[in-house]
Amino acid sequence: MATNDDSRMNTGAFALGALSPEELERFIAAAESDPELAAEADGLSATAVLLGLASTPVEPSAKLKVDLMAAIASTPQLSRETVVPLAEVRDDEPSASARVEDARPQPVEAGAAEQKARTRWFARPATLLVSAAAAIGLFVGGGFVGSALTGDTPVVVDQQAAGLAQIYAASDVQSVRSEVEGGGVATLVWSGELGRSAVVVDGLAPLPAGSVYEAWYINDAGAAPAGTFDATGAHKTSWHLLDGTMSAGDTVGVTVEPAGGSKTPTTTPIVAIASA
Amino acid sequence: MLKLVTSDIDHDGTPLEALDSVESLLLRVADGDQRSFAELYDRVAPRVLGLIKRLLIDHAQSEEVAQEVFLEIWRTATRFDPQRGAALSWVLTMAHRRAVDRIRASQSSHDRDIKIGIRDVDREYDQVAESVEIRIEHERVKRAMTQLTELQREAISLAYYGGYSHSEVAKILAIPIGTVKTRLRDGMIRLRDEMGVA
Repeated sequence: MATNDDSRMNTGAFALGALSPEELERFIAAAESDPELAAEADGLSATAVLLGLASTPVEPSAKLKVDLMAAIASTPQLSRETVVPLAEVRDDEPSASARVEDARPQPVEAGAAEQKARTRWFARPATLLVSAAAAIGLFVGGGFVGSALTGDTPVVVDQQAAGLAQIYAASDVQSVRSEVEGGGVATLVWSGELGRSAVVVDGLAPLPAGSVYEAWYINDAGAAPAGTFDATGAHKTSWHLLDGTMSAGDTVGVTVEPAGGSKTPTTTPIVAIASA
Repeated sequence: MLKLVTSDIDHDGTPLEALDSVESLLLRVADGDQRSFAELYDRVAPRVLGLIKRLLIDHAQSEEVAQEVFLEIWRTATRFDPQRGAALSWVLTMAHRRAVDRIRASQSSHDRDIKIGIRDVDREYDQVAESVEIRIEHERVKRAMTQLTELQREAISLAYYGGYSHSEVAKILAIPIGTVKTRLRDGMIRLRDEMGVA
């Protein structure tokens, strides 16, 4: 029938977000009663996501996260069970106070039905994206990777980022979070397979002048230095890819050391995380 | 001696916790968990902003849209259904839609250089020699893109990266809209098959 034939030609444009609102509505109606059409739409939509992932990651400003965390604290979430009638979706916008950027002109929003439709999949089995997700998962593992890709990042940082991404990509990646003495949180991420690990720190207290953080592998043989780092700068979240090789069961500790680092720890660790 | 002190340190490390998936983070966000939201943000924000900026070019405007996207994620996480697809797809689909909405809402969109949409994908890759993994992903898409005809590639780039509707694409390329639809569909099917999505 004519309408469906029309929709059948629109799967590509649908996946790419290139349909007009009217066409989109017709397309959705058609796909709901046509499993074959729905399956094609889903597959092409998943393909479009890969196009999205091909874009270069861009590190957001620190302000964006701060603004967002403030905004969500006062933004209600949609209820889980009720299927909201389409017309209500727009009314459920966060209150004015929750808007962080009230003064900014808001874009003209697409219609509610369109909004809803464009974030849905039709009949996609959960496994459909597996091959794509397997590839993707590697990269989203580290939001940090993006920071290494913005502009004039020193090469060493890029290597560190690549190393961190590798750890996140490992099939046996594990992580443990721990509070840091004096404030903040540290997460140890490691892969036994790779023998590599990284410490991700968030919200550490500022270091005294002339000091650095130093990471250590700690085991029965004592403490082996694993490189120095510093957690200051624009982003309060920082990370350090440990030098050397991590052995199964090692504890990773962090101490504050004089600039340049030490051969053996001279202070009490502010955090120590056991990997087993 | 160090070992002795470390045992004194109070830490609540959860033993052998597997790295949280984007899915599980999003499901916890649906329960109103702000900490998981922060973690989800850290993981996907560079990806989200990267895609938005690809369309909008302007950094400040891209951050505004990224903020809308993350607020929408917060509000609608309750409606995310893992049975219907990966969390990252859900997020990126939303980001793309919001970026397109912004383009279509803005008057200046018509002044945007058409070349933005059809600029060579290769140029983008050249800026990104840093991470092996990202390189591989880019190479995959790039390789798949080479399997398209020039005309298909042009139409897909204009629609996806340029944020143009198919009627705009038709105008830009001075071809009938039916031809645009065919190119988009044939091209996307080819890409799907090349990248082994389905």
